[in-house]
Amino acid sequence: MLTGSKTTFKVRQMLPDIKERMLSQSGMNARSRDVFGLRCLPGECVLQRAVMVRKKLSAREGRGWLSGTLFCTHFRVAFVPQDSPKPDDNADPVLLGDHDVALASIEKVVVVGPNRTKLVTPNSSLKFTPEELVLYCRDMRVICFLFDRLTPDTQVLEMTYTIAKTYQPPKPGSVLSFQNAALGSVEMKQFLSNRRRDSHMNWCESVSDWEQELERCGASGWRVSSVNDRFEMSTSLPRFIVVPQKVLDTELKKSFAHFNEGRIPRWCWRHPRGSDLLRMASFQNNIYYEKDDVRNLEMVLFGCQSSLCVVVELGEELPSPADIQLAHGRLRSLCLGDISTSVSVPDDKWLSSLESTRWLDYARSCLKKASEVACLLRGSHLTVALQEAEDRDMSCVVSSLVQVMCDPHCRTQRGFQGLVQKEWVTAGHRFYSRVNHHRDNDKEEAPVFLLFLDCVWQLLYQFPSRFQLTNDFLLALHDSVHLPLFSSFLANCQRERCKRHQNSGQSYTPVNGWRDTLHSDSSPDPCDPPLPPVWDWALQYSQQRRDAFTQPVPPLPPAQPLLNGNLNTNPDSHRSDAVPGSVFLLSRGTFSCPANLLPWRGSGGSSVYKKSHRRAASSENVPGLERLLKAWALTELPCGLGSSSSSRPQGPLDPYEPLLPLLTGPCMGLWRECYLRGALHAQAFSHPVSANHAHPVERLAREVQQLKDKLAQVSAGTPHSPPPAKVAEPRRSDTNLNQNTNNGTFLFPAQRPQGPAGPRAVPAPTSTNHQTSRGPPPSSAPPTRPAHRDAGGSNKQSFLFGDLSAREQQQVHYYAATSNAKLPKGSGSSMAS
Amino acid sequence: MASPVSVYNSNAMDTRISSTSRDSLKMELLADVSLLPGEDRITDKDIIYICPFNGAVKGKVLITNYRLYFKSSEADVVVILDVPLGAISRVEKMGGASSRGENSYGLDITCKDMRNLRFALKQEGHSRRDIFELLFRYAFPLSHSLPLFPYVTQEKFEESGWTVFTPIEELRRQGLPTNKWRFTLVNKNYELCDTYPTLLAVPYECRDEDLKRVATFRSRGRIPVLSWIHRENQAVIVRCSQPLVGMSGKRNKDDERYLDLIREANDTVKLTIFDARPSVNAVANKATGGGYEGDEYQNAELVFLDIQNIHVMRESLKKLKDIVYPNVEESHWLSSLESTHWLEHVKMVLSGAIQVADKVSNGNSVLVHCSDGWDRTAQLTSLSMLMLDSHYRTLRGFQVLIEKEWISFGHKFASRIGHGDKNHADQDRSPIFVQFIDCVWQMTKQFPTAFEFNERLLLTILDHLYSCRFGTFLYNCESARDQNEVRMKTVSLWALVNSKRESYLNPFYTPESGRVLYPVASMRHLELWVAYYIRWNPRIRQQQSPVEQRYLELLALRDEYLKKLEELQRSDSSPSSRLANSSSSSATSPSTPSQQYTHLQTPL
Repeated sequence: MLTGSKTTFKVRQMLPDIKERMLSQSGMNARSRDVFGLRCLPGECVLQRAVMVRKKLSAREGRGWLSGTLFCTHFRVAFVPQDSPKPDDNADPVLLGDHDVALASIEKVVVVGPNRTKLVTPNSSLKFTPEELVLYCRDMRVICFLFDRLTPDTQVLEMTYTIAKTYQPPKPGSVLSFQNAALGSVEMKQFLSNRRRDSHMNWCESVSDWEQELERCGASGWRVSSVNDRFEMSTSLPRFIVVPQKVLDTELKKSFAHFNEGRIPRWCWRHPRGSDLLRMASFQNNIYYEKDDVRNLEMVLFGCQSSLCVVVELGEELPSPADIQLAHGRLRSLCLGDISTSVSVPDDKWLSSLESTRWLDYARSCLKKASEVACLLRGSHLTVALQEAEDRDMSCVVSSLVQVMCDPHCRTQRGFQGLVQKEWVTAGHRFYSRVNHHRDNDKEEAPVFLLFLDCVWQLLYQFPSRFQLTNDFLLALHDSVHLPLFSSFLANCQRERCKRHQNSGQSYTPVNGWRDTLHSDSSPDPCDPPLPPVWDWALQYSQQRRDAFTQPVPPLPPAQPLLNGNLNTNPDSHRSDAVPGSVFLLSRGTFSCPANLLPWRGSGGSSVYKKSHRRAASSENVPGLERLLKAWALTELPCGLGSSSSSRPQGPLDPYEPLLPLLTGPCMGLWRECYLRGALHAQAFSHPVSANHAHPVERLAREVQQLKDKLAQVSAGTPHSPPPAKVAEPRRSDTNLNQNTNNGTFLFPAQRPQGPAGPRAVPAPTSTNHQTSRGPPPSSAPPTRPAHRDAGGSNKQSFLFGDLSAREQQQVHYYAATSNAKLPKGSGSSMAS
Repeated sequence: MASPVSVYNSNAMDTRISSTSRDSLKMELLADVSLLPGEDRITDKDIIYICPFNGAVKGKVLITNYRLYFKSSEADVVVILDVPLGAISRVEKMGGASSRGENSYGLDITCKDMRNLRFALKQEGHSRRDIFELLFRYAFPLSHSLPLFPYVTQEKFEESGWTVFTPIEELRRQGLPTNKWRFTLVNKNYELCDTYPTLLAVPYECRDEDLKRVATFRSRGRIPVLSWIHRENQAVIVRCSQPLVGMSGKRNKDDERYLDLIREANDTVKLTIFDARPSVNAVANKATGGGYEGDEYQNAELVFLDIQNIHVMRESLKKLKDIVYPNVEESHWLSSLESTHWLEHVKMVLSGAIQVADKVSNGNSVLVHCSDGWDRTAQLTSLSMLMLDSHYRTLRGFQVLIEKEWISFGHKFASRIGHGDKNHADQDRSPIFVQFIDCVWQMTKQFPTAFEFNERLLLTILDHLYSCRFGTFLYNCESARDQNEVRMKTVSLWALVNSKRESYLNPFYTPESGRVLYPVASMRHLELWVAYYIRWNPRIRQQQSPVEQRYLELLALRDEYLKKLEELQRSDSSPSSRLANSSSSSATSPSTPSQQYTHLQTPL
């Protein structure tokens, strides 16, 4: 296989010999095959294998090194730890193991030799044998493999070349081949087409989905309209939109023309106090308004509220997609550093460099805007309409942030997934262009969604106990965005997704008058593999890792809010079902009522407007609105100062009280667990894996769970309580313990490994606990147990990477729990009684 | 401080007044102030507090011989200030009798704990003269020949905090003496070195006469003595001051021999000398007779740790105060923070300590010094001991560490803090100890389960570093403490701490011995200690650690369930055996942890 001398190797063309290089190829009929311990996907070929490789573990994985075998297939770089449990052939295929990297995630391949580092490209030839292989990933992971002396040189070189040649350099067309490598086999297609959707979340795709959401929010007065069922009204809007009940479809149809891309005001969410959140694109100004149009438009805009509508303009104070792209690029290069160029920001300039990325500024401005909107919504009966030119970027961010802040349901994993479906996926955030997997339009690329995730993390960071979802979940979502496998992120709107599903455009043909936003190369190809939605986490993550997506015991306010729209006790809500009242514009924190806010109310439509005797927005309302915003400013001050109660009531929290984050400099955090995951400046350090006693939080969580179960039991036994509808989920305890030993204690460097049967062993938790029905037995616990061999002297200038916010890790690991951690219905209601 | 905000804040001073109900406002404003035993009211007065966050607030101020207490009289704004006089560094008159403008006449008070206070008075009849003089007098008692408050207080605690640390016990705990290390009382009367403790651990083979000769060659006689010994590899941390090399490059055979004895004690190949200073400063010190160990010390290697001196640290913290008080610098927070260099100094101290700990854990003995060996040296030895020895990470052990490495080895608390001294511009003042506590905090952040104590302990220590309520941090060294009978006449801070032990415990502490903690000393992973430096800003909500918050919630949840369970069982008129069983089981086997936790609820 090698040409040239021992020290110089020329890389051969890949295509001719790829077949012969394939060490194995799982057969067509074998569902999956275990090749040297690697469980291949159907149709997956192992191209190269290197033995005696060590993988550097990140802080989250516990640090240290893990020995095993490295594989390169035509879909991923896989790493199988030495004594990992034998894969279960009957289990469903998991695309990526815990230590694997999809080729499409790799951005850069760098090797480290005796005294040098080199960026490896598909055409590189190496003049030295690498000692270390570093994979820089698009999702900001940096994965590092160390070749042992015992790894045969040829394997090292071949592995490097193979990865360099097969990873997907960003170019148009490579995505499809990657998708085919992952999902293209007959078995995979079959497997995927048999997958069931998660029925516990709202997909916001069908009429009933939307009706369910309306019901959940207690949004009376609204209905689901299928006027856009065939995308005739707006190509980028979903098939079903929610509009005021009193507006007929025929009336509605006339409104589309007045908005950019036909994106008329639509309902998003109702605050439990009765205010509605709407979003819309900017007005088309140059269109003639008929009298009826104006009436219809106002009916749509005012929604169910009659008196007050605040239009929140999102253009001005928020970053543009180009800003976000630029900031994210700076953040990437700042956090990743670069081993190949040795350019990394000196430590003493870290803070100012971080500031100059402006990433945190942008996150702050999004949160600020969302806080303002949240404050308006909680105030009284009014309609808040988010307006953005295209209504496809920042309005996704703001509308979903508002809901995360105000609606506890959106802070659960399932609720959050539904939210992303509602405000991003079906609402037509242009994931295809913004993520730019196909590299066909770099100008449009902008990680708007990632900025949103950062904002959510900021909220999680400031209100950790108000979330049921965890940092692990956000990370998983963050990383999945960079994997071009999921239908959720590979289309610009629902119409494109539908087209793809239908295999041809037969059902949904674009209608004249609307420009076709489809990209030419995404035209449906019957050979394309069916793409799963990102929410099918089992495709990517093991049960154990999915368990860590939620906290074991839900945050105090029950995760299932029953919003009925009647929480309002606000006396200053003057409802009148008469004509719409005032419209205000909120911009830069102040309210105004510019004459041309509603184009039809300007000179052109003034006659109509006068006839309908609507007064210009009365300025009496302005102070009221400003008070709402001021209320926010005051919540920044503790009540002790702002009001007479010197200490904030720590009593039962109103679950719908919005989470208003603090936005001053010292309060904005950096998502270190995400952006600094791969930072190479901190050296690996051997660390112990011992201590088999659970973390106090863990123990307490378990105890609480037991109590809850018992409560459910007891209340089920009493006659006046509901039957034990669901017996409380037994919490996994074994898995958790093991997780603990792996993750919780890396904080302490070991001097010598401690036997697993330490004297402090917790009085056998399993004996008092429910037997877990899920989770592997302890022996099959995560194979991340790092080797102890380098605990000796090789650690001279290595520092134990204390933690990237160990709090977070802890929280995540210690709480790792079953995926549906909702209160069992039985116990929940009995508690309420 | 403008109103207690956080849990921590409100407990920072233990005597904070909690009753703020409206009713009490109508009564005598200051009637409900609970004073310490022995605390006397000096004066009170109607005054206007110019709150940087709320504007002018009318109220009444009370001055005792321990504190300045202010309470607003306006019903809608409750502002309470409770400032120990010890925290005051400077009192100045603001404006004159003729100055114009509202509230331009009054007092301007600078505090040592990251805040300033402004009070305004009516511009008539020299209204501020009395209060200014009384405040000045009682805030700086030493400058007015008054006793410090610790000598006046009548506070009593069950346990005397002074027994927490006895040098001999601590050295024995470390496994001393050995056949290589012995104890000596050569400094019994502080004749060898007046800033050292009486009991010292020195190489076994070194006679007391040798020690005296070594002392002549070390600045202020602070000879190298053992601070800590590694139980397994017998490597030691030895601390001292700089050698008196001077411009002429003097040598001292005894000193060289002495260092070699230290090296030989555990067959270290090369003794590592960590000079905490930047090398430039070390060289510059030669001009004043000091210097550093040169090549004549065979079998030793010298490493400079580049930690700046007390003046640089003082200015750095001053800059930090400027950007966080009263208002947080908004527009360029991170670069402003960077320009204070405070975190960078913290990083340098930590990374120096890491190097010390790393050497020692690998079996190499080290010698640590700076110029006089009482500032940077104390930081380095105590931090590296904290990394190496899990005992110091317990609540008791941490007290021992401070008593030993800081108090008994003569960190000049009196000079650095200026207790009761009016000379606010004294160049000897410097927040070295604050910086040390900051480093400890950084470690607790990075290893949240490794420390038995919590953040609150650190805040309490820093509060009483200034408060002058306890004798713990008074005076510069042991000889001065003996002279002033501190241990006889005052109460120790540890008496307070150990009397409310639970409130300083970290619920997540996982005892773990024999582990060396190496924090990451990188700007990427250091954080500003917002809960201390910005705690007076009411806009900063104290962020409880998520884990801790979670823990508290779980506790609440557990209690709720327990109550529900109890109610259910009580309400059930026909108690079945099953229920009885379940209740008993909840009380027995699985509740071992529950019993363990109950006592933790109160503090948090």
